[in-house]
Amino acid sequence: MAGQSDSPISLFSPEEVEFIAEDELMEIVPNMRMDPLNFICGDFGPFFPQIPVKVPLWLAVALKKRGKCTIRPPQWMSVENLTQLLEGEREDQGTFQAVPFHYIEISRLLFDHAREDIPDIYMVRSLIEDIRDVRLHKVETNLEKFSATSAVKIAHLSAMEVNVVRPFVVRSLQAFYKHDNPVVTADLDSMSNRQPQVRQPQVPNNARRFE
Amino acid sequence: MFNDCIIIYSIFGGCSQVEEGAKVELPFWLAQELYLRQAVSINVPACFNQKTRREIQADAANVDLRSRCPYFYEFGCKIAPLVGDRTIGKMLLSTFQMRYKDILTKAHTVAYAMASKFLTVLTKEETNLYEAAQLSMATFKKWRIGGPRFQRASVLGRKRKPIE
Repeated sequence: MAGQSDSPISLFSPEEVEFIAEDELMEIVPNMRMDPLNFICGDFGPFFPQIPVKVPLWLAVALKKRGKCTIRPPQWMSVENLTQLLEGEREDQGTFQAVPFHYIEISRLLFDHAREDIPDIYMVRSLIEDIRDVRLHKVETNLEKFSATSAVKIAHLSAMEVNVVRPFVVRSLQAFYKHDNPVVTADLDSMSNRQPQVRQPQVPNNARRFE
Repeated sequence: MFNDCIIIYSIFGGCSQVEEGAKVELPFWLAQELYLRQAVSINVPACFNQKTRREIQADAANVDLRSRCPYFYEFGCKIAPLVGDRTIGKMLLSTFQMRYKDILTKAHTVAYAMASKFLTVLTKEETNLYEAAQLSMATFKKWRIGGPRFQRASVLGRKRKPIE
């Protein structure tokens, strides 16, 4: 069957992928003094003014919203770095550049909550959008190569990119598997074995009755 | 599946309505049961005949499979062992291979309204595939553009009815 299953369309919604991305560590520069925070996921702090410290993205955003810190954008989020990435993506159509696994989610969260902490934000934003578009297009060309049941290997895909194509890919692979499978022919053989039987009078319990 | 009718040769002896050797259209589930009891033999349904196959070979993407059989692939898988035609399985795979590319490119790019004509030739299975891709692309775009991050539960903010 080509994608007939009633399973949920996608395992994760974009919001859920974003939620997972919020566990990534970010460097912040607090402007207040605070004792260490002890969480299940680890201990963060102590916080001193002007002393950089690493915290999860969700905590960074929460502190930022209260005006308690500035967020230091990650290394890869610089104009030079992104320009290089974009060039790499455009030049090499076959493979993907190694980008941070959550680059789409992290950049969106930072653009939403910490725009003034990112130098050249307009440039950075349009570069990331370009990179994302180029990569999504590349994913599509990669998927066109599917033609039968085969192992699929695409390196350096990011979380959100995988999530976007997941429903389609899973269903098409299921369909390819179904039609490219010797089971159908095996069925045929077992069916012909059953043929020589004489008409059996009793109807199986679960069969539809007809008179 | 219940609408898929196929032609059978009835070999009922002594049945007043259907004579032996007559061609009758029956729902697939009934035909299958009769076949297993050796009561009938099944002809290849029209949607898998040579004419359709030639059309598919010529231009798979534009063949209107939905009007022929809305569950083309599923039905094909089920009917193949009954009519003993081993080529049906291969034909299904090659049909899907050819149509897959078209669905892929349209599903992730073309706007819904533009694609409506394209949608009318897809089988149910292909439509599901297409809609899955469209939906995930749409939710991604919605997330990217933003909007209210938190939804208010409908029970909140509802005024309590005064107790009389």
